[in-house]
Amino acid sequence: MADAALVRPRRPSGHRRREAWAHRLFVSPIVLAIVVLGVYPLLFILAAAFSDSSLGKPFREWVGTSNFETILADADVVASFWRTVAYAVAVSFVSVVAGVLVAVALERATHAGSVVRTVLLLPLITPPVVVGTLWKLVFNPGGGLLDTLLQGTGADAASVAPLSSTVWALPAIGLADVWQWTPLVALLVYAALLTQDPAVREAAALDGAHGLRLFGHITWPAIAATVAAVFFIRLVIALKVFDLPFIMTSGGPGQASTTTSYLIYQVALKEFDIGRASAITLVFAVVVTAVSLPVAAITRRLAHD
Amino acid sequence: MTERVRRRSSPLALAVLGVALSATVVPLLYLFSVSLMGRGETVSGVLWTTDPQWANWGDVLGSNIPRSILNSLLAALGGAAVTLVLALPGAWAVARYRTGGRTLGATLMSPWLLPPIVAVVPLLTLLRILHLNNSLVGLTLVYALANLPVAVWLLEGFVRRLPSELEEAARIDGASEFRTLAAVIAPLLAPSLVAIGIIVAILNYNEFLLATFLTQSADTQTFPVALSLFYGDRTPHFGKIAAAAFIGVIPVFASAVFFQRWLVGGLTQGAVR
Repeated sequence: MADAALVRPRRPSGHRRREAWAHRLFVSPIVLAIVVLGVYPLLFILAAAFSDSSLGKPFREWVGTSNFETILADADVVASFWRTVAYAVAVSFVSVVAGVLVAVALERATHAGSVVRTVLLLPLITPPVVVGTLWKLVFNPGGGLLDTLLQGTGADAASVAPLSSTVWALPAIGLADVWQWTPLVALLVYAALLTQDPAVREAAALDGAHGLRLFGHITWPAIAATVAAVFFIRLVIALKVFDLPFIMTSGGPGQASTTTSYLIYQVALKEFDIGRASAITLVFAVVVTAVSLPVAAITRRLAHD
Repeated sequence: MTERVRRRSSPLALAVLGVALSATVVPLLYLFSVSLMGRGETVSGVLWTTDPQWANWGDVLGSNIPRSILNSLLAALGGAAVTLVLALPGAWAVARYRTGGRTLGATLMSPWLLPPIVAVVPLLTLLRILHLNNSLVGLTLVYALANLPVAVWLLEGFVRRLPSELEEAARIDGASEFRTLAAVIAPLLAPSLVAIGIIVAILNYNEFLLATFLTQSADTQTFPVALSLFYGDRTPHFGKIAAAAFIGVIPVFASAVFFQRWLVGGLTQGAVR
């Protein structure tokens, strides 16, 4: 903060230097975290991608770009990229729409107390492994919640088994994903709504603005930047999805719900091929960047408006 | 003009909240319901058993699940404590003095953008060198570092909102940077630190991928890992799986209910001001 620096009284430079060193000491754990969890894995993966590497013996031999040639020619790998991106965009869109609805409703419902807010937050803090288990039980053919409800309506005699369907497995995982993460969207957008000046809304309401007009002219401009930022966060979380396919379908049936994170896990820790897994990771990093950069750019523009 | 328009809840808003509440609660109640079912009932299409079987809960409490919950709690709380201790000075220096400049600010959250699967193999190798693989200490340290950027990022906003006069006063009194931090900044930020600590502890408790690879033996496994292994049987007992899942969620839900004022308040309050 510039004004803080101006207010500070003049000091001997030795003192100033000692302070600067203290600040450097303070941020050193952050640098360590970035090195251990960012720089080091990235260098490791770069080296592994260009070499013949197994889990036990990394970097056995330099093989140039052959790992990349293999994976880009592999239809399963390329399909997992498209599948993951489509999945991430779809679940992000659905949970942002649902989350904004819930946030606006929370703000408009004056009687909604802290109990309601806490209950609505529960999915967010439920361990993903439990979320996967929960929805696997709901989708359980023959006796699961969904099957029992559908049998009750008498619509179809055959039992429904979305998790063993090549068409429905991924949407079913997506539903669990939306259930888990919509509360995060609702929470952040709700917080943004609370920053609004209530007087502005009241004035608009007195002028006769209601419903959609009120939302479009008063509420939406106030939360647009937050919604864009939340969409970005949500998209990144969805692109990384691993736990839910792991628990609910093990990537199946066939490859129907194999997201790229799950594929990397399979190649690295089931086939022990670290070289190929690293190459997939690097290409996926490019895909993630390509998908999330435009969203990040929109977020930044809205935030500066 | 002192009279304010009294706001009433709109029926539409109440309807949306009703749908959201039932969509949230019904699956959780169903999990509880299944946890009381016998083997036959879980595949017979009943939604609520007439003959609750607490035996499932008893069996789970006799298995390695309680141990795994304890392991999770240790790693979650230990990791969160270390994260907070490291994040507070870091966030203060970054927010007040721009230590590390634009580079640090820009790279802070970058590891978060990549799937954590990226870090698994390199971390496994690193921990093996340090002889910390398959130990709760190793996992706790990884959690502490993994959440540090998030904690600093959240804390930065709260530091910015603090008035700098109190720090100035401490400095004029001749307090060192360490003293100012411990005696002035830390107490002022206590509520935010609690909120961030809860969030980070919950993230740790729920984490699955790293724990699967970094804690493999039965006495170091965390709860998500132990639960994922429940599917090992060829004909899984859904009642027991549900009971294990439900029991493992109790610590997180209990803390959320207990700390809800800090959890929701801590995140929204900053925005209100």
